[in-house]
Amino acid sequence: MKKYDVIVIGAGNGGLVAAATAAKRGLSTLLLERHNLPGGAATSFTRGRFEFEPSLHELANYGTPEMPGSVRQLFDWLGLHVKFHEAPGAYRVIKSGPDGFDAVMPTGQEAFINKLEELVPGSRESVTKFFDLGMESLMAFAEFQAKPNNIDWHAIGEKYPHFIHYAKRPYKEVLDELNVPQKAQDIMMAYWCYIGVPGDDFEFAYMGMMLVAYVVMGAYVPTTRSHEISTAILQTLLDNHGDAWFNTEVNRIVVENGKAVGVQIGNETIYGREIIADVIPTTVYGKMMRASDVPERGLKLANARTLGTSGFLVYLGLNKSPEELGIKDYSVFISKTADSSEQFSATKERNKQNDFTIMNCLNLADPGCSPAGTSVLYATKLYFGSSWDDVQPENYAKVKDEIAQQVIDQYESATGVKIRDAVEEIEIATPETFARYLRSPEGEIYGYYGHPWDQMLARTMAINEDDQQMPHLHFCGGSGFLMDGYSSAYQSGFVTANMVAEQLAKQEVTK
Amino acid sequence: MSDLTLQQDLQGLKSLKNERNAAIDAASTRPLPKTFPVNELASKLHPESQFLKIKQVIKHSADERSFVLEPDTEKGTQHLAYFRAGQYISFRLKIGNSYVTRPYAIRSAPADALKDQYIITIKRVKNGFVTSFIFDNWAVGTPVEASAPAGNLYFEPLRDQKNIVGLAGGSGITPFYSLASAIADGTEHVKLTILYGSRQHDHILLAPEFSKILSKTNDVKLINVLSDDDIDGFEHGFITAELIQKYAPKTPYSIFICGPEAMYEFMDKEVKKLNLPAGRIRHELSGNYGSPYHETDYPADSRDKVYQLTVKTRDHEQIISAQSNESILVAMERAGITAPSLCRSGECGVCRSRLISGKVFSPEIIDGRRVADSEYGYIHTCASFPISDVSIEVPVHDLADQFG
Ligand SMILES: Cc1cc2nc3c(=O)[nH]c(=O)nc-3n(C[C@H](O)[C@H](O)[C@H](O)COP(=O)(O)OP(=O)(O)OC[C@H]3O[C@@H](n4cnc5c(N)ncnc54)[C@H](O)[C@@H]3O)c2cc1C
Ligand code: FES
Repeated sequence: MKKYDVIVIGAGNGGLVAAATAAKRGLSTLLLERHNLPGGAATSFTRGRFEFEPSLHELANYGTPEMPGSVRQLFDWLGLHVKFHEAPGAYRVIKSGPDGFDAVMPTGQEAFINKLEELVPGSRESVTKFFDLGMESLMAFAEFQAKPNNIDWHAIGEKYPHFIHYAKRPYKEVLDELNVPQKAQDIMMAYWCYIGVPGDDFEFAYMGMMLVAYVVMGAYVPTTRSHEISTAILQTLLDNHGDAWFNTEVNRIVVENGKAVGVQIGNETIYGREIIADVIPTTVYGKMMRASDVPERGLKLANARTLGTSGFLVYLGLNKSPEELGIKDYSVFISKTADSSEQFSATKERNKQNDFTIMNCLNLADPGCSPAGTSVLYATKLYFGSSWDDVQPENYAKVKDEIAQQVIDQYESATGVKIRDAVEEIEIATPETFARYLRSPEGEIYGYYGHPWDQMLARTMAINEDDQQMPHLHFCGGSGFLMDGYSSAYQSGFVTANMVAEQLAKQEVTK
Repeated sequence: MSDLTLQQDLQGLKSLKNERNAAIDAASTRPLPKTFPVNELASKLHPESQFLKIKQVIKHSADERSFVLEPDTEKGTQHLAYFRAGQYISFRLKIGNSYVTRPYAIRSAPADALKDQYIITIKRVKNGFVTSFIFDNWAVGTPVEASAPAGNLYFEPLRDQKNIVGLAGGSGITPFYSLASAIADGTEHVKLTILYGSRQHDHILLAPEFSKILSKTNDVKLINVLSDDDIDGFEHGFITAELIQKYAPKTPYSIFICGPEAMYEFMDKEVKKLNLPAGRIRHELSGNYGSPYHETDYPADSRDKVYQLTVKTRDHEQIISAQSNESILVAMERAGITAPSLCRSGECGVCRSRLISGKVFSPEIIDGRRVADSEYGYIHTCASFPISDVSIEVPVHDLADQFG
């Protein structure tokens, strides 16, 4: 059997881009995926006349042809022809508890600031400062994220001094320092849920950048769900003479003399010069390696970390159009409290306290996503997988139906939109579902939780050490240096494949 | 900003890396867990394979048998997966040179699965390839392999009405038997009215078993509809819109349809006349789709041809022949290729494969593909018929326990 330059384990967002990048750079590449579909969470599923988006809310860092974000640049380089729709507006946030509010936030920096000033008079000055800082973060990121293994921090600091100054400070702390009024902060806190780290733990550099990126560059969704993106990236791999084997489980990473040399599938060993795992290290070191082969730093790092949150999603195919139902927003965040720490704490238990819910109506971004006269809604909640530890097979359906019912009630009462009687199709995904399809430990969907020492900045600074845990073994994906999220996972796949290509080139030279 | 501040800020940033190193240094070197409770739940609900043994064979008539199944603990299945009444399991069989799958509804109650028992009831198909094999070979003690429970023909309280009208034909009665049992034992809280179409009185499946359930609950009603026989106490004719209206409750209801292709298409037309809101009608084909020639958009000049089918799997390639009236999946099965499949009716996507070249016909009623798949050239082999020489890439059917 032939030996590959690169073997990629797992065809999630990170693995797909890593494999396509390696192949496009002329490396012989084999992508191995246990499921029969590419994409991991970036897929789709059909029920009746609906095809649902399982996971993507909004693709960040895409931008326009004139102002392309990093993801658009990457997709252009890979030669993808995926048609995207821009999501209208930024988001709506409804605080349904005491002192509640209902804020519909537009995209565009000026419009966003104006709207906030209207809702929270006196916020303009501080929020404008916030945007300046967030913008600086965005630019700093854009500069170093494609080559994070070789950053001249001093040069970055000279160019973006505020970025460096505020970088590791918690988001909430910086908003306080800027004197952003509490209600404005509440409104600006909603996106914590995309990374699963609450505002008083979340480093400013990243969270500030994220909000500004969405507001300034907009957010995008693909025309035929994430499955289209995944299929297109796979096509780039195939067009560049790469191989992709589906339904193929890697049982073990083969290690010789402390170095990764190949993978075992069934009774066969396939050799590769470099192995990239789009699989969380906890699983690689826990299940896919002999204990004696596991590198100490890798093991300790995995033990030091905390698994990220899992999710609970309700997918609804409705037999009425958004106009008939009165749905006006693409994305609504609903909760009784606007305090992200409280919202976050509640994800550790499976009870009514955990009421933070995001509801998306895909038709608002992409009117053709379901047949005429119908609409698609999907609700997302976060749960740590461990809060589902007590669920047994025989009560599983009941547990998920109960929470789905609460989600529907909550949406109806917060927005006044009645959907219950229009349900034509429903599917519910839980931590169990993610454990099943992604195989992630406890069904995590967000890699590792971002302790302050384990967020984007710290991971970026440690990228070389993390990559050197075991010679010829590399990681990418949602547990990578940019943490979870589509854009981040794509970028991490790209970066890892490039680092691998550099190392292979060096090996050629020394030969 | 002064250079000093920048130096301080850079130091501050670097301290993050020290914090990270400190956290790593302080961490334990204990081995990582191999599994977690949520992953265990997933493997209980959705095992990749279930190894079963036949515990008992019940002969209802010459052509109808029930098989009582239990876990084959020696092969590694300790317990049977729980399911929702109405779901099926897909059996994986090696018959001669062929590796084939066949889905059968679990007709016993979900509660029985907790006691490690499934029952399936099979109607022998005349000259049937698999049913003939099963009737000749399955006896007490025979080991058999099946998938996890699958399928969407179950009661979902957030979608379906609290009254279900079940329209069943032939072996399509089996999922309703399970639902009726689950109602009788209190697992499901719905009312079920079944209109069950058979040709003749002695074709009615599971009649004595149904009487037992009916005596236990008032929430299940069964109306037998005979197309050929005219007998007192039975409806005569077909399951028409009028008949449904005669027996359906006055309150809102959902219709579940399960039957062989011919009946399914007939009932579909009748049900349309009722003008129910979309979503109130759910169906599942119980049986094979058959030949595509009757479809109005079938390209007539492809009829009765034998095409060349090139099948690529990993780094292996094989050329076989494929008849125009059989699905690509069946062509592969005939040739002894182990190709993945589960539902065999276009829906589940397990047989998804990549079309490298050539053309296939995918009948609209069983074309359950994702939109992007149609655009990027992927097919469901069970729902695709060759209309030219075809070359495809098929994933292996790796049945290693995915949670192992
Ligand atoms: C969701 C679902 C639930 C079901 N539940 C039940 C149930 O509870 N009870 C029940 O009785 N039935 C049930 N069925 C139907 C059942 O799955 C089978 O379709 C039925 O038993 C037909 O079996 P058969 O192979 O004998 O028939 P056949 O009609 O012979 O099927 C044969 C197919 O195999 C092909 N074939 C012929 N020779 C070969 C060969 N050498 N190698 C490979 N392929 C060959 C033929 O071309 C044909 O397409 C269910 C079906 C579905 C989809
Ligand atoms: S086997 Fe289910 S779609 Fe083909």
